[in-house]
Amino acid sequence: MRIDSDRLRDIPTAFAMLLPSLIFLAMFTYWPILRSIWFSFHDVMLGSPDIFFLGLENYTRLLGDGLFWRSFANTAFYTLLTIPLSIICALLLAVALDTRLRGMAFYRSAFFYPVIIPSVAAGMVWVFLYAPGYGPINELMALLGLPKLEWLYDSKWAMPAIIVMSIWKYSGYFMLILLAALQLVPRDLYEAARLDGVPPVQQLLHITIPMIAPTLYFVIIIGVLHSYQIFDYVYVMTQGGPADATNVLTFYIYQNAFQFQDIGYASAVANILLLFVMGLVALVAVTLGRRIHYLGQ
Amino acid sequence: MFKRLRLGLAKGWLHFVLLPLALLWISPMIWIVLTSLKTRVEVFDTTAGLLPKIAQWSNYPAALSVAPFGRYLINSVLVTGGIISAQLITITLAAYAFARLRFPCKNLIFGLFLMQVMFPIYAIFLTNFVTIRELGLMNSLWALMVPFVASGYGTFMLRQAFRQVPAELADAAKLDGCGHFSTLWHVYLPLVKPTLIAFAIISVVTHWNDYMWPLLVTNSESVRTLPIGLGLLAKADSGADWTRLMAATVVVVSPLLVFFVIFQRRFVDSFMHAGIK
Repeated sequence: MRIDSDRLRDIPTAFAMLLPSLIFLAMFTYWPILRSIWFSFHDVMLGSPDIFFLGLENYTRLLGDGLFWRSFANTAFYTLLTIPLSIICALLLAVALDTRLRGMAFYRSAFFYPVIIPSVAAGMVWVFLYAPGYGPINELMALLGLPKLEWLYDSKWAMPAIIVMSIWKYSGYFMLILLAALQLVPRDLYEAARLDGVPPVQQLLHITIPMIAPTLYFVIIIGVLHSYQIFDYVYVMTQGGPADATNVLTFYIYQNAFQFQDIGYASAVANILLLFVMGLVALVAVTLGRRIHYLGQ
Repeated sequence: MFKRLRLGLAKGWLHFVLLPLALLWISPMIWIVLTSLKTRVEVFDTTAGLLPKIAQWSNYPAALSVAPFGRYLINSVLVTGGIISAQLITITLAAYAFARLRFPCKNLIFGLFLMQVMFPIYAIFLTNFVTIRELGLMNSLWALMVPFVASGYGTFMLRQAFRQVPAELADAAKLDGCGHFSTLWHVYLPLVKPTLIAFAIISVVTHWNDYMWPLLVTNSESVRTLPIGLGLLAKADSGADWTRLMAATVVVVSPLLVFFVIFQRRFVDSFMHAGIK
């Protein structure tokens, strides 16, 4: 009996402790999501008190909006290339550094420091590096006998240029997380494989990757969530150009809301973006999450 | 001995791959510093070589005088400091409730907390912008802080750490007449210091560098932060005066980089283990 009353006594304390967080979560996470759904069914203009019910009109408009599809495709292209490429890069770096070779601290810092540089600074520097006339990347291309490119001014190369920059910016973060996981893999597994004459590439595929699968899965999810940050780069580097080649959903939402003041339509785009990201996360969870469970058994 | 030698050679070979790669990774930062010391003519002259002929230190005062960087710095410190202080309070309380108290709908509420991780400010900035306007907080330092006071991720990290604390310690404190709050303060918090520091570092790096949200809710010098100031300068100077812009970049980038160099171990550990436990 006494224990039960003790437990009941916990309830007010618990809710008092949760309250500060819940108030702010409600105001700035749950309410915005609900409200964004409500907005998307209405005609809402920024700063105007008049709101009209539109039903599905914002969504039907989306279907016929070429620029929406363009930015959707750009977002998917960016996400689906940046995440695998930077994770592969991070994995190779982590495996190389896991050998505990000399200069480890130097290498770790060299690959990690871009993570703590502000996105605006990173974007800006890369604008300089990619500059067609005098930028060092084109100078290097010329030195190697390759043709000079217009990079951020060329609608074919602008998005790949941002992807390369993103790989530079994030690989170090993923590398650190993977490195932590690698250090927990028992050494004798490699020793045994080496004695059996298993080549290093096979060791990577059949020992390393399965052993760190849960962490890889975690890194992919983090990667998906980090890919939102492309807004900063697009804003600083290209403003969505040239010819909307780098217009992505976050930037398109921004344009609709703050340049065209159309909150209703922007909300509809925002909801599609949320569905896209949640879909990706769910896809990762269903495909990889299940495999990992199987491997763990 | 032969084995060790072979192993050593095998590892040595890695340096030939890693060293150029590491230099490639560092090169943008070196480029920033070198450019900040060049003359404007040198920047556009591709035959001038990599190094500045004479280091132009005057680019630094020139950069700092175009905009009130001192004000930006104070604002950045206030905003980041405010966010992390508020977060440490909210996540400590919530994490304790999740780790040690019994209450109905616990899993559901924990799920609601975790949901926030899926919806970063980039996904919901639009409606948050409308909310901030309605609250009359536009163009104030409060607008830069309030959306980040609660942290689902921080609560999750700290709950994991609290769960590692042996229950006997808490029971002993209870027998000594400690209530929940003093148990939390005297028993739990001292034991999870590494987790608190890890979360603080990650949160400070995130919010110190924040660009999109401050860009949307500020429009006057008095409330702008360092990244926004740098962005404004970039709009005016990029393609025109790279030397001044790169000098400003060095100033904006260096506080965190200096901390990183000094507390390298701590930084690395924080980011390394943030995802694991």
